[in-house]
Amino acid sequence: MNPIISLKNVYKSYGSKQVLKGINLNIYPGQVIGYIGPNGAGKSTTVKILCGLISDYEGEVTIEGINLKEDPIAVKSKIGYVPELAELYDVLTPVEFLGFMAELYNMSKELANDRITRMLTAFGLEANMHQRMDTFSKGMRQKVLITSGLLHNPGIIILDEPLSGLDANSVIIVKDLISKLAKDGKTIFYCSHMMDVVEKVSDRIILINEGSVIADGSIGELQQQQGNLSLEKIFAHMTAKDSLSDAADQLMNAFGK
Amino acid sequence: MNIINKFFLQVLLLPSFLYRNMGVSIPHLKAILTTKLIMDDRRPNSIHQTKKKKQQKPITGATLGTMFFSAVLGAIFLLSFTLGKDYLTQFTIYFTFYIFVLASTLISDFTSVLIDVRDNLIILPKPINDKTFVLARLLHIVIHVSKLVLPMTLPGMIWIGIKEGMPGLLPFIFLILAATLFTIFLINALYIFILKVTTPEKFKNIISYFQIFFAIFIYGGYQLVPRLVSKAALSDYSISSSQWAWLIPSYWFAGSWQFLRTFTFNSPLFICFILSIIVPVGSVWVVIKYFAPSFNQKLSMISGSEGEAAPVKANSKGIISTTSAYISWMAKWLTIQGAERMAFLHTWKLTGRSRDFKMKVYPSLGYLVVYLIVMFMNSKKLTMAEVRDQSGGGKFIFIGVIYFSSFLLLMALKQLIYSEKSKAAWIYYITPVTTPGKLISGAVKATIVKFYFPLVAATSIAAVTIVGPKIIPNLLLGICNQLLITMFIAYLSIRELPFSVQQSNASKGGTFIRGLFTLLIPTTLAIVHYLVYTYLPVIIILSLLSGIASWLMMDVLKNKSWNTILTRNYEG
Repeated sequence: MNPIISLKNVYKSYGSKQVLKGINLNIYPGQVIGYIGPNGAGKSTTVKILCGLISDYEGEVTIEGINLKEDPIAVKSKIGYVPELAELYDVLTPVEFLGFMAELYNMSKELANDRITRMLTAFGLEANMHQRMDTFSKGMRQKVLITSGLLHNPGIIILDEPLSGLDANSVIIVKDLISKLAKDGKTIFYCSHMMDVVEKVSDRIILINEGSVIADGSIGELQQQQGNLSLEKIFAHMTAKDSLSDAADQLMNAFGK
Repeated sequence: MNIINKFFLQVLLLPSFLYRNMGVSIPHLKAILTTKLIMDDRRPNSIHQTKKKKQQKPITGATLGTMFFSAVLGAIFLLSFTLGKDYLTQFTIYFTFYIFVLASTLISDFTSVLIDVRDNLIILPKPINDKTFVLARLLHIVIHVSKLVLPMTLPGMIWIGIKEGMPGLLPFIFLILAATLFTIFLINALYIFILKVTTPEKFKNIISYFQIFFAIFIYGGYQLVPRLVSKAALSDYSISSSQWAWLIPSYWFAGSWQFLRTFTFNSPLFICFILSIIVPVGSVWVVIKYFAPSFNQKLSMISGSEGEAAPVKANSKGIISTTSAYISWMAKWLTIQGAERMAFLHTWKLTGRSRDFKMKVYPSLGYLVVYLIVMFMNSKKLTMAEVRDQSGGGKFIFIGVIYFSSFLLLMALKQLIYSEKSKAAWIYYITPVTTPGKLISGAVKATIVKFYFPLVAATSIAAVTIVGPKIIPNLLLGICNQLLITMFIAYLSIRELPFSVQQSNASKGGTFIRGLFTLLIPTTLAIVHYLVYTYLPVIIILSLLSGIASWLMMDVLKNKSWNTILTRNYEG
């Protein structure tokens, strides 16, 4: 099977700081990838490259066989992206904002309106559809953001901390949605610090640290390599420079004990 | 979308076939522009931003507001034609006003049009080609500028049309276009320069200061220009006799207008015409060739700079502190250890770092300066001897300066409870603060030290230098009364903890009564002071009484209990 996303020797630097040090990845259709790593590991940079937000990288990125540098527009139309920051044009209403998104994805008005109504209703926002978003809570904004990423029914979905700010019920909905989207054949690239969720929803976990992939496999394979530990423990074991328990001790010592 | 935006959009989309040939996606272009224009109509402009209170209702007519405001400014520009004795001088003044006001307005309002960093996450990941995105941004800027320029120049066009007919109007329209291009170049150059010498975070602060300056300029212009216009000397002035005029771009535009009326090739006006063409066209070329490529890159830095701050340096003892020795010393002397001192230092830092606070309070400082100038201008018969002897108008000026300054302090005081990050006030409620009055008194003291002490210092030095030591008792009474006014109004008006209320929740109830008190108390005390001004024993006794009363009021403020504090953010 041909990979749907392929990264070959991808390097990226900000000034003298090298953020990605030769990333090589092949992601196959229908996979749910849990892309994890500590802060500053290079996760967001990878996501921004895949979404076409960063173009001055070295190496080759192809999506559905299309070279990202050669035809970024074709690539972007195949991707749905939910960014980490809930950036919205918040003086607009959800319907206005999502209608705008639909136009950028060349969707017909009828299809867009129908989908917007159904998706917002599913998220429990039917009463807020025509309210300006500047009064919305973080969770409500996040729901609009998730809707905007899925609206055009993309084959590849990139989710950067999609559960941020959501209440418990909405978390269940989104987790369930991820599983159902995967069953529907979508490829999901899921970035998060919530290890328990990543462990549950992903069928392949990629651990990145200091710009390099340091582990890649299913949770079972990672457990085989690292001992029968939870993903949280594996993550800590592979990425923490010092013992986390020592750090807790140091914090306790601050009280003079 | 309102009718004006719709009109501009349709006009700019007329050459769609041309855009399509350039590789632009028309549906995308239309979608982006429509959305941006809807947002413009709901976004507060620079006038809304410096208003003391944010509107309770969402803004929906910002476009009309901006255009009306521009038209009013344009009407004020017509005053240029009452100054100077010839057209060259009058047009030079007109174009100076125009370039200056347009540049200031664009700097204040432009940033949200030019630098909407949300585009990076919302539009750029979508399948939009660069040409469409760049053209959408460009046309958005053109619409934005047109909405300012058209109403701003309309009164001038009507006036010139009536006075000079078509032969005068057409060159005027052409030169307005050239002056607009030149102004846009100036702003670009300024932005690039500021971004070059400072950090993106400071860039945002500088823009805020521009907005403050602009609000003061408009207010100052409104107050001072009519007074200046009456000066006969200005009516007889001709700029053609001044060689330095060649250094002013507005002089070139004025000269160019005269040239286009007469076409006298052998006069210096021809050079003006050449300059008025070459400089704007050359400026546009410089912008496109050199500024634009690095401009977007520089602007993108701003999006990544949120929350960035200069690293704090440790002092000689290795202790990291953001508080200067002066502030620590002041806090130590003026407050008691604990909640009050914390509130003092906290207020000092927040008032210095909150852009929102500065935007609301700093214009008042400018208004104060304008008031003082107006006061001096109104006292036409005032002599220096009167100021020195504190007789007649001199006494009046002194009282005016002392008591007028209370308005700045009161404005800062009024703003003290508001913050865009009001939810952060949870810290007051989870810490074991027994008497919240201490938080208020600490904040009030910081406000006095920050906003009143510098004024007191400046006024005292000026008064003692000009009048001599005999002014000291009156100075003392003035200062004590100021403190009393502050304490009294703080007690009456501050019913919430510092920085704990959203600006949008500012209560409207009781505003009139509070406003009346705010006006009445300083005025009453000023009148009493004026009446007893020359009776030294009375002044000394009143100073003592006022000082004691201030002290007692501060004590009452300090002991405000939780029962008297409104906690509307945390109820329910």
